Amino acid sequence: MKVTNYLITALLGLTLLITGCSKSQNTNSPKTLYTNIGGEPTILNPILSTDVPSSEITGLVFNGLFRVDINMSIVPDLVSTYSVSEDGRIYTFKLHQNIKWHDGKPFTAEDVQFTFDKILDLKTNTVRRSNLIVAGKPVQFKVVDAYTLTATLAEPDAPFLSNISIGILPKHILQNQDINIATFNRQPIGTGPFKFQKWETGQYITLTKNLNYYKEGPKLDRIVAKIIPDTNTALVALEKQEIDSGKIPYKDLEKYQNNTKINVFEFEDLMYTYMAFNLKNPKFKDIKVRQAIAHAIDKKSMTDKILKGHGRPAHIPAAPVSWSYPNNPTFPIFEYNPTQSAKLLDEAGWKLNPTTKIREKNGQKLSFTLITNQGNQDRERSAQIIQQYLAAVGIQMNIQLMEWSSFVKRINEPRDPKNFDAVMLGWALGIDPDSTSIWHSSEYPKGFNFIAYNNPKVDALLDQGRKTIDQFQRKAVYNKLYTQIASDVPYVFLYYPNVITGINKRVKGLSPAGPTGLFNPIENITIEP
Amino acid sequence: MLLLITIISFLIMRLAPGDPTQMYLDPKMGAQDIIQIRKNFGLDDPLPIQYIKWLKNAAQGNLGYSYSTGKPVLTAILERLPATLILSISSLICILLIACPIGLYIGSHRNQWPDHIITIVSLIAMAMPAFWVGLMLILFFSLKLDLFPTSGYLNPMLSDAPILTKITDIAYHLVLPLTTTVIGGIAGLIRYNRFNVIAILSQDYIQAARARGIGEGTILLKHAFKNASLPIITILGLSLPDLIGGSLVIEYIFSWPGMGQLGIAAVFQRDYPILMGTVLFTSILILIGNRLADLAYRWVDPRIR
Repeated sequence: MKVTNYLITALLGLTLLITGCSKSQNTNSPKTLYTNIGGEPTILNPILSTDVPSSEITGLVFNGLFRVDINMSIVPDLVSTYSVSEDGRIYTFKLHQNIKWHDGKPFTAEDVQFTFDKILDLKTNTVRRSNLIVAGKPVQFKVVDAYTLTATLAEPDAPFLSNISIGILPKHILQNQDINIATFNRQPIGTGPFKFQKWETGQYITLTKNLNYYKEGPKLDRIVAKIIPDTNTALVALEKQEIDSGKIPYKDLEKYQNNTKINVFEFEDLMYTYMAFNLKNPKFKDIKVRQAIAHAIDKKSMTDKILKGHGRPAHIPAAPVSWSYPNNPTFPIFEYNPTQSAKLLDEAGWKLNPTTKIREKNGQKLSFTLITNQGNQDRERSAQIIQQYLAAVGIQMNIQLMEWSSFVKRINEPRDPKNFDAVMLGWALGIDPDSTSIWHSSEYPKGFNFIAYNNPKVDALLDQGRKTIDQFQRKAVYNKLYTQIASDVPYVFLYYPNVITGINKRVKGLSPAGPTGLFNPIENITIEP
Repeated sequence: MLLLITIISFLIMRLAPGDPTQMYLDPKMGAQDIIQIRKNFGLDDPLPIQYIKWLKNAAQGNLGYSYSTGKPVLTAILERLPATLILSISSLICILLIACPIGLYIGSHRNQWPDHIITIVSLIAMAMPAFWVGLMLILFFSLKLDLFPTSGYLNPMLSDAPILTKITDIAYHLVLPLTTTVIGGIAGLIRYNRFNVIAILSQDYIQAARARGIGEGTILLKHAFKNASLPIITILGLSLPDLIGGSLVIEYIFSWPGMGQLGIAAVFQRDYPILMGTVLFTSILILIGNRLADLAYRWVDPRIR
């Protein structure tokens, strides 16, 4: 019986342990905002980071020369006023004079020049160098005096202001360091509304209010950005009010819509999902085959199934929330029409083999493989739905799921022709509508035009769009661009997924829901006890 | 030995398609820039040269810097070690404390009802995936009963608190991940232990001891237990690397800041310096683990020399 006693003691001890330390002290200070950044940030340096968690933090700690307001317009931030020369090539920026770094040192034009020089420095591991290269030449930054600075461009460049709205770094700290491995990247010092306080790996980052902010400071005293990678856990944490904001999956929306503690916001974002054809593949060289595929897919019903109605079908490579989206659409819409699809395939010479139910031409089957990345369930399911639609018109589509890194290598590898038939992906677009990197023929085989799309008209429109500064005129250029691209069917544009966010009701001062988030600017956010 | 391990793992690592710079698919980034970064990392050099460079630095105690974070590899590993060790050591202790006595008990009371019940329960526990158990525990104990936090390690408000408060808070956060690990790990060991006890109890020397009139409890604890623990030592020796490897699933669900997440992230990001660092660390521990197991054998069983 000794053993049983021992057993009981062990179990008793365990229960004591469990109940003994339950119910911790509630130490929530009233003005602390708890967020979830969803993953460990890689590097807290705005010119080096490429991931969302990092940019969520650097966006609070650093200021750029410009920032994006809720209307997605570029408005001055560190800059007080600026002017552009007649030919649109020389910018003169006047900086605010009362700005201090978080360590108390004054912020000057030297810091701005230092930051852009670092981006242009080949030794810096940044993916933003090409943003500062216009018509093949680096932008020349020159300090005029402590608070004035000029930038000289080889030719007018519309995305320029958006490209230089990146966070500015302190020269006095980084000037004699290797920026790629500096400890600064883990203890950043900026000019922003919040000061970096602490980063506990894998747990959280805390930021405190910047008492010497150059304009009206934040109402919050601090922000605790938690790192909760699992989406289910994050959802429970939101429900339990351990965090104040979190993404809500479509399937869980109903559950939270009438929650007494959480407000739910839904908005359209700057992104679209698409299926792209490798245009070097002989089967896809024929535009009729591409048009037939576009007609074979019922985008509306697919959007309803995949996004549960939280999104809409896409027809062009621009999001409806962007200012560049045409008001009076002239672009073609490929309606769901299997008969038309079959007719186009017949015309292209692909005849249905009645026994296999697959179309053939010169003894070759109309069959291809779609690759997409593993782990994105919406994409996986979209691929399966498309597979059925295409089977109905006699096209055999195989699906291959790949691990992200191998997938990216397959499509990005700078070889010609590339080793894939078709891919399914999504593009997250920038605030500026320039999409040279996706559609320009010079971006193949190196670049994101991995489908080898090549249309001189599109190249010219892209160049024109970059050189046109006036937004109204630019919009007309992009209207033509989108119509041209949509008519060529290099992609089948599928849908625009909406974003659904839940915010604790105690959080006040939110901006209207949109692609720039609900905390824009963060200074207005406050907590009601 | 270590040299061979590092060469093989270096090669396997580089056989995987993709590389750390081919992670980005973002129209806002420049393709030329990605090629430049590749050059900066020295990934264009021939493989043997890259390996020799790594080895030279490693021999001088410099494991390099992570490609994605720019952090020294040693720092990246060491800052995640405490959380991993707390979870793995405490779960090991709990598992041993629970599994050994239960195994001993049901082994000696074979085919009686506690044996059947425990066998069924432990088979069910074995079949439940950790991510599911973890989520259920969160839903029940955290959301429904509000007894424990959903996830995390230390309350951010307590980062400057006295050490005792910190320990209590960590223990408080530890309960759910610990329970999940114990549920997953205990069943196998119980089955193992039960089988050993049954095998040993049927041996002649146990019969002899009984014949000498020694009490059943003494037989069990003194004679049977020591012998039954031999195979367990083997298992423990082999599981030493797991102690620092961390459990990805548990860490992910409970946002536990341990090694598992570091290793997996490094694999997916092709962060070669971090990968080589963890491989080196783990292989040293495997070697130590085997050595310790050998020593423990000698101590438990004097026949082994």
